[in-house]
Amino acid sequence: MTSILVLAWPELRVPDADPRPWERMLDALDDLSPRVEAVDLGVALVDITGLEPMWGPERRIAARAVMLTRAVAPSFVRCGIGKNRWLASLAARLARPERPGAPAALRTLDRDELRDLPLSLLPADSAMRRRLALFGLVRMEQLAALPRSAVAAQFGATGERLQALARGHDPRPLVPRRRPERVAAEAAFEPPLDGIGAVALTLRRLAAELCDRLRDRHLAPGRATLVLGFEDAPALRVAQPFPQPALEPDWIARLLLSRVEAAARARWLPNSNQDDSRRADPATGARSDGSNMGKSMPQAPLHAGQGTDHPPQVAVVGIWPESSEEPRVASVTLAFDRLADPATSQLPAFEARAGRWEELRWSLERIRHRFGEGRLWRATVERPHAALAEHRSRLVDIGQ
Amino acid sequence: MQTDAVAAPAPLAAALETLRARGLDLRRGSEPVAVAAPRPAVPTGHSALDAALGVGGWPRGALALLDAPPGGGATSLALGTLAAAQAAGGLVAWLDLDGTLDPAVAARLGVSLEWLLVARPRDPGEAIELAAWLGRSGLIDALVLDLGAGAAPDRRALDRLGSLLGRTGGTSALVLAPAARAVAGAVAGVRVALHRSAWLAVGRDLVGQRVRAVVERNRWALAGASAELDLWFGEGRRIDPLVATLAEPRSLEEERSALRVVSA
Repeated sequence: MTSILVLAWPELRVPDADPRPWERMLDALDDLSPRVEAVDLGVALVDITGLEPMWGPERRIAARAVMLTRAVAPSFVRCGIGKNRWLASLAARLARPERPGAPAALRTLDRDELRDLPLSLLPADSAMRRRLALFGLVRMEQLAALPRSAVAAQFGATGERLQALARGHDPRPLVPRRRPERVAAEAAFEPPLDGIGAVALTLRRLAAELCDRLRDRHLAPGRATLVLGFEDAPALRVAQPFPQPALEPDWIARLLLSRVEAAARARWLPNSNQDDSRRADPATGARSDGSNMGKSMPQAPLHAGQGTDHPPQVAVVGIWPESSEEPRVASVTLAFDRLADPATSQLPAFEARAGRWEELRWSLERIRHRFGEGRLWRATVERPHAALAEHRSRLVDIGQ
Repeated sequence: MQTDAVAAPAPLAAALETLRARGLDLRRGSEPVAVAAPRPAVPTGHSALDAALGVGGWPRGALALLDAPPGGGATSLALGTLAAAQAAGGLVAWLDLDGTLDPAVAARLGVSLEWLLVARPRDPGEAIELAAWLGRSGLIDALVLDLGAGAAPDRRALDRLGSLLGRTGGTSALVLAPAARAVAGAVAGVRVALHRSAWLAVGRDLVGQRVRAVVERNRWALAGASAELDLWFGEGRRIDPLVATLAEPRSLEEERSALRVVSA
């Protein structure tokens, strides 16, 4: 017998609610059951069928779900348990907290309990409610007792559906959400490698390995998360969204390396800026951070005097040591997520230049890491006949 | 009794093949002279200048300096080059150090803004470094390095950029540097000087200029050739030159619409 748990957060149902914790709440519910449906913002259905041997009775399962979601956002939640969506949803609607200030309210509802409930609880419009009242139907029991053919003849298909609900039947299945997929690979170095640039080949190999795994499933990553573990320093973690989902290990490895080096510079030398580095080496091209002309992959370690003037947009775990020696890399963990069908971007298949432009965007992303924001633009003409030149066109940042 | 037969000499053709395999460039006198593959080029947008450059346009993998005073037509010629490169299916970039590029004018001169990357570096060094990044990507067919009228770039950096483009071989870089023509001219593989010979006018409005482009230096073909180019300002439509030669102004209206060539 199917058993469904409905959780409804009233604070998330108001118009100006903050939707940011919603996805993380759903992720937390994934730890409870493999079948979780997000009906709407603030309403989730969890299939708890067969979970009793693992988590205990239904009430305890509901308490566990509340505990998991309150760890993300401590909001009041209504819980309802029933044999189908309708019963569970109605149970959550009718749930009342046992005491004032309780974090949750729970109610279970069986078909037998429906009979005394008013028909106003059915999802019917006002016109249908008035018609039902004209026939003297005010309780679920009255509608449920009528012959189905008579209800269909009088109220149509809508009436039939309402009668099925009044009888406690709901054929709509639970449609579990697609759990965000994530693939990961890692490598450990013994002895550790000297400098971040030394992991380039390993990074490329890990990216190729993950791309091969995803290629078989016709998926492409939209974001990568790279974690560098150091021998004597806290780990460095960067998350890099891609310009578009792609299965190109070379592009991914280069982009990630430029990203992690920019993050390392920002963390290691937070007070330095690019002008200082330019004064230190005005010849250009002699830098080791990927701008070295003629090198396709930056590999040399960082040196003092290099910096970047754009703020780091990464989660850097811990603080770099103040010694001048760069930490030795002991491990690399690469994860891909935001998996998508690569066929969603098919324009390059019809326009060769579009394909080259998409490839160029990866290079432009690396240029943004190196030089910062506000360097790369696309132009659009807005008022071609304006008197002043500055009013005729507009520049749009490539990164926006 | 002599039993060992003298080995017959190998055919001459086989011997030549052996020597060729060792890297020697040998040929028979009767064989035609092998013609080296022409260096790939980006069209300039002017067939006369393409012919004067010898390789069909600006050579790829090289720096080319457009030597002209401010207002001398270098920007118009560079925009025409970008339009021609885009018409051939390429991607182009404009590195705008002074922020003087007017996209509306570029669009009127035929540049598709959809496939134009505009870079705004902060100083000449960063401009050259950005050009190196774009050249190394191998995806940009033509880029214009507009260094403006500010400080001169570092010669070593420009030289290094030229070497990088040469190794990559896919990008043609036009340098506009009125204030640094000596530095840029020393490292550019191609140097073209523009000399204005006449103004092009319709009625009282100047709509363009006629310039003589002289190839002063060319590493891949004979230098010294020149071409006469009509460069149109971005403010109006292209005027059919036949109007100037065929139409005899008979009314004030026709006189206003007729193209006149005014000596500079």
